Amino acid sequence: MSFLVWRQYRSQAAFAALVLAVFGAVLIITGLKMASQWHTILSACTASGTCASLHEGQTSLGSVVGHDFAILSMLGPAVFGMLVGAPLLAREYEARTMDFAWAQSVTRTRWLLVKVGWVLLAAAVWGGVLAELVTWWSGPRNAAFQNWFQPNYFDQQGIVPIGYSVFATALGIAAGALFRRTLPAVAIVVGGFIGMRVWLSQDVRAHYMTPVTTYFGVAGNFNPPAGSLQVGSGMTGPNGQVLAQNFNSNVGVFNGVPISSLPHACQSLASQASMSAQNAANRCLAAAGYHSYASYQPASRYWAFQGIETGIYLAVALLLVAVTFYVVRHRDA
Amino acid sequence: MSVLVWRLYRAQAAIAAVLLTAFAAVLVITGLSMASQWHTMLLGCTASGTCGDLGATMSLGGSVAGHDLVLLSLAAPVLFGMLVGAPLLAHEFEARTTDFAWAQSVTRRRWLLVKVGWTLLAAAVWGGVMAALVTWWSGPRNALLENAFQPSTFDMQGIVPIGYAVFATALGIAAGALLRRTLSAIAITLGGFIGLRLLIANAVRPHYLGTVTAYFSPKLSTFTPPASAWVVSQGLVGKTGSSGVRGFATYQPASHYWPFQGIETGIYVALALVLLAVTYVVVTRRDA
Repeated sequence: MSFLVWRQYRSQAAFAALVLAVFGAVLIITGLKMASQWHTILSACTASGTCASLHEGQTSLGSVVGHDFAILSMLGPAVFGMLVGAPLLAREYEARTMDFAWAQSVTRTRWLLVKVGWVLLAAAVWGGVLAELVTWWSGPRNAAFQNWFQPNYFDQQGIVPIGYSVFATALGIAAGALFRRTLPAVAIVVGGFIGMRVWLSQDVRAHYMTPVTTYFGVAGNFNPPAGSLQVGSGMTGPNGQVLAQNFNSNVGVFNGVPISSLPHACQSLASQASMSAQNAANRCLAAAGYHSYASYQPASRYWAFQGIETGIYLAVALLLVAVTFYVVRHRDA
Repeated sequence: MSVLVWRLYRAQAAIAAVLLTAFAAVLVITGLSMASQWHTMLLGCTASGTCGDLGATMSLGGSVAGHDLVLLSLAAPVLFGMLVGAPLLAHEFEARTTDFAWAQSVTRRRWLLVKVGWTLLAAAVWGGVMAALVTWWSGPRNALLENAFQPSTFDMQGIVPIGYAVFATALGIAAGALLRRTLSAIAITLGGFIGLRLLIANAVRPHYLGTVTAYFSPKLSTFTPPASAWVVSQGLVGKTGSSGVRGFATYQPASHYWPFQGIETGIYVALALVLLAVTYVVVTRRDA
């Protein structure tokens, strides 16, 4: 049975290996160049004592082509799900080859188990190789910009791409089992993968663990430690309650908070534009017990977050595989 | 023949219409709220006389959902190419429905022309509607950030998305005619579209028309090109015949925006025509 799977997929395997080889070649060539560029930058900034002020935008690091490929790696999982996962069962149904497969001495469960098992393993390898290449390539950028915990960078490094890849493939297999048509299954992979990824990374990821919150003076300035993921900031009132913010207007707003929700004594100062009035308003708010706050996920949680996110995608993939088994086993041939 | 094409594609047409409606609903709702935010901002800065540095001090996020959808519109042309263009001929070959279609009184040539014609028209409408919505939505942001000419922003507004959609669909059709396998055609469409888009946007687009170069004293630490221009390179040059260096900024002025839109759309439509010619030759010359 494993031998059959190999014979069915050898051309796809060769094609995937070729794509990975090209990808690897581009990233290794541009990555080595970037590593030596980074070395030069470090020597220069050590000599002038300016290493603390290296920032993305001011320091360019890495080539356009390498950067394009790192961004494209985020499509890798969905491409595997569309081109390998979606047709896995749908194509067999369309071509009615399962009529033949299921008439053999191999049981339907074993046929499915071996096929799905090897393909999901291949998906994990695909995602893992892409991620390791991008992680290595990004080394100098991670060190210079401390941005590996930020959205998009988090999503292309470490182990999460393995979870994405297994999920996208399982989604394609399950959609194929349900629809029995390749094109609808491909469409479901595109929509489902993008939807799940956008939703999880924008609305859920920030809450995997309780963020660390730092309070400081109303007029103060606080930057979360390097490499952390900022998840919120604003003002708290005298009882420590978070004040609702309004970013949709620059009129009637002080430090992002509507002036009407500030204490009466400070309102007239806060609504004046002059610098001295604004400073006086800050002092007035500080006297009334107001604080600024910033909440963030510290850099030390990076791998915990990688683990949690990978776990979520693997769990959803497992669920989709269970649905697939149920559908395939209970359907009349 | 046109009725046949409609009956073949009515399900896909319904899905595409639902997607466009959902897309439009989100953009109209978030766009109206952004427009009123922009209006408030303008009133505020007019009153305080600070409209000149509005771009440096204010941000116009729009909503996260609106912004996500606008970015996703970059993928819309290739989706149409993959899901409608690639199977157009490939699926007929795979299911051997060409055997039946070509045995009818309609010539192969007419069968191809009507099918391809309507599909490309649909692709143009798909790309055009997306682009019109995104262009309208981006109005306040374009005015505030003056970034309509920048890469990515340029690629989702105006008329270029029509060219992208027509090209992606023609690529899918041609790949399907040559390979006769749907999945292979989908892979070619995806890879070819991304590759060409990156190549043209990164390497070709900056050279469509001559640039304007401004020189300035390096003592002025920054130089701001005219509003909405696209800076393609900047740096320092040594001045010949004298000591000292000058700063330079090379840019495409904002007046080149619509010529660039036209040139880029023209390139993609021309490539689509080449692909269609290939398809035509392959289909009409091939034994059934």
